[in-house]
Amino acid sequence: MRRLIPTVGLRAIPVGAAVAFLATYPLYHSNVETLKFTLVGIYLIAILGLNILTGYSGQISLGHGAFIGIGAYTTAILVDKTSLSDVATIPLAGLVAGAIGFLFGFPALRLHGVYLALATFGAAVAFIQLVQSVHYQSFTGGATGLFYGLPKNPYYLTWGIAAALYAAAWLLVHSKLGRALTAVRDAPIAAVSSGVNLALAKTLAFGIASAYAGVAGSLLAIRLGSVNPYSFPVALSILLLTGAALGGLGTLNGVVFGALFIQFAPDFAIDHVSKTAPEVAYGLILLAVLFLMPGGAGELLHRLGGLLKKAAKPLYSRTADRAEAVVTSTRSDT
Amino acid sequence: MKKGLLALIAVGAALVLGLPAAFGGSSADPGVTARSITLGGTFPLTGAAASYAPIPRGMAAYFSYRNATKVNGKRGANGRQIIWKFYDDVYNPTNTVTQTQRLVEQDHVFALVGGLGTEPQEAVVDYANSKKVPQIYVSTGATEWGSKHKEHPWTIGWQPDYQAEAAIYGRYIRDHIPAAKLAVLYQNDSYGQDYNAGLVGALGKAADEKIVSTRTFNVTDPSVTTQLVALRASGADTLVIFATPSKTIQTYATIARLGWKPAHIILNSVSATQTFMGIAVNLAGAATVNGSISVYYTKDPANPSWDNDAGMKLYKSIMARFLPDADAKNGLYLYGMAKAYSTIKAIEGAGKNLTRASLMKSVDHMTDTTNPFLLPKVVVKTNAPKDNFPISQQALIQFKDGQWNPISGLIDTRPKG
Repeated sequence: MRRLIPTVGLRAIPVGAAVAFLATYPLYHSNVETLKFTLVGIYLIAILGLNILTGYSGQISLGHGAFIGIGAYTTAILVDKTSLSDVATIPLAGLVAGAIGFLFGFPALRLHGVYLALATFGAAVAFIQLVQSVHYQSFTGGATGLFYGLPKNPYYLTWGIAAALYAAAWLLVHSKLGRALTAVRDAPIAAVSSGVNLALAKTLAFGIASAYAGVAGSLLAIRLGSVNPYSFPVALSILLLTGAALGGLGTLNGVVFGALFIQFAPDFAIDHVSKTAPEVAYGLILLAVLFLMPGGAGELLHRLGGLLKKAAKPLYSRTADRAEAVVTSTRSDT
Repeated sequence: MKKGLLALIAVGAALVLGLPAAFGGSSADPGVTARSITLGGTFPLTGAAASYAPIPRGMAAYFSYRNATKVNGKRGANGRQIIWKFYDDVYNPTNTVTQTQRLVEQDHVFALVGGLGTEPQEAVVDYANSKKVPQIYVSTGATEWGSKHKEHPWTIGWQPDYQAEAAIYGRYIRDHIPAAKLAVLYQNDSYGQDYNAGLVGALGKAADEKIVSTRTFNVTDPSVTTQLVALRASGADTLVIFATPSKTIQTYATIARLGWKPAHIILNSVSATQTFMGIAVNLAGAATVNGSISVYYTKDPANPSWDNDAGMKLYKSIMARFLPDADAKNGLYLYGMAKAYSTIKAIEGAGKNLTRASLMKSVDHMTDTTNPFLLPKVVVKTNAPKDNFPISQQALIQFKDGQWNPISGLIDTRPKG
């Protein structure tokens, strides 16, 4: 733990700036502008989880939108059919989605790479079918969905939870489990021979990621006041993975950029790039970003940080250079 | 010194916070001035449902035309320039809620007009009604827009409702093909269920005997082949399709591939525009598509028999002027213009003192026979609380060699009373 403290110290400045920015944002922005940042917070929570799964444990998920949906429907059903307050359903939504995700992790154990991606993609598709199914209609509201309130703007709630979950994710990836996950990703055989329980580590990653998604979904349901299968299209899962990749897989520094991208890139593309085919422009932006900084925003920040550190390195090195220069000049004198 | 500064800040803050309240206190509703009126709506401009994007663009073209042209001595809507804002919601209710709040709270629209899609619009009904913002002429034919006037007095549809349309097919079957054995394929959502309920209701007691097989699909299903194989195996001779455009086209292509040639095909009007039928003909062949039966209530820009009609000429001139690159044969542009016409009529009907309440009063008590884009003699009529279905007359049409031709006069499904 002591080793962590200097790192925390260095990061206090950007973290403090971010907290100050977010805490005061609603004071000088309209409700609608604030709403967009509520959604950024919700996407941030989802991407944090996805990053633990894909970035740290190396398991690709194209079905994260389904777990957001599970969280959203858990909150919607509980608020609609019980007397629980919406805020009280948030941990339950996280637990339900987390449990289902943990169970989903078992069959996923047998799959790698593109096969796992396909299986998770299947989850995204199946989720929409299941909630629309007439068999569960009394429960999920079928294709019409559930209506239980007016749209809200849970800005501080979302960002409070996002901050707590960010800290939790940070502690997790710096813990024994976090190192085990990274080992599982980079060298599974070496990880097993060092005593890591491969199956447990992988399924736990699925469970944690899904719990994060469930919390995000719950907040989304609170924000909307209604849920509908159309709110969780397959495209949402793809967008989330895109956001996670842009933020930087395997680092938590850039996650917020991924979340900002998910919220603002589609709007930006249709307003400024192309009215008829924004998806194409959006794909091009993605390609450009991935091509120019494959490690995502996280890597870029890391490099910038490195440059800053270099620039701020004790003058000792520069003095040494100068001393050398002096020596050279003396030599030329002779 | 410090105290003085604090006091100054406090006074300043109070002023800043208090000012909007002071000015907001006037009697006029947001979005309307003596010179302008701001209207807005959400539509799928991108994504799977983007084929509906011509609707808000057709509306934009008509509003621009009226802003630029004096009609009855006045430009715009009763002398007010119309500012029309429409945003993409990708047919995703998450976006619909945010974009609708953007329209109401940031753009301060006077009314929400023409918002598209049953599920997306359902997601903002309670919001619009709690804020008392008119949500008029939604672009969906779900029966609830007219039948739930008590719950949602600020919301109303425009086009004929799906149940009424399906009832026309039911009556047609009863009167013209009484021996038909029906196979029904419908989309498993409120849209398809609404249509199916209308058909079953219209057939009455005979429904069980006439409908030999029913299959549903989800709009996200990759194909409808399994459903169609089962429907064909039921021995039905008439296929009833209640689907959105892309699934309808897929259905035609699939029955052509299966070699199934039902004696009759009945197709809901949403998917029956020229553009979609053209694609269906390309994929399935004219032999499969010809003979299909549907209904319409707007003039058909793809049918040359309307070429000399004054309303059609107006439509084409507006298209040429404001949307020169668009395909004017796509009936969705005309649908948008017809809706924009009704919107202006409603605003004019609200009179000089235009408020959100007076607009709703005008929308709820309207009789308009002048819409140049609707079929002749179609009346846009409401009489709240009894009748909240603005359009309820339609004519049966049959597809033949690239176009729809009428096979009946207007059929009225307006609720009695």
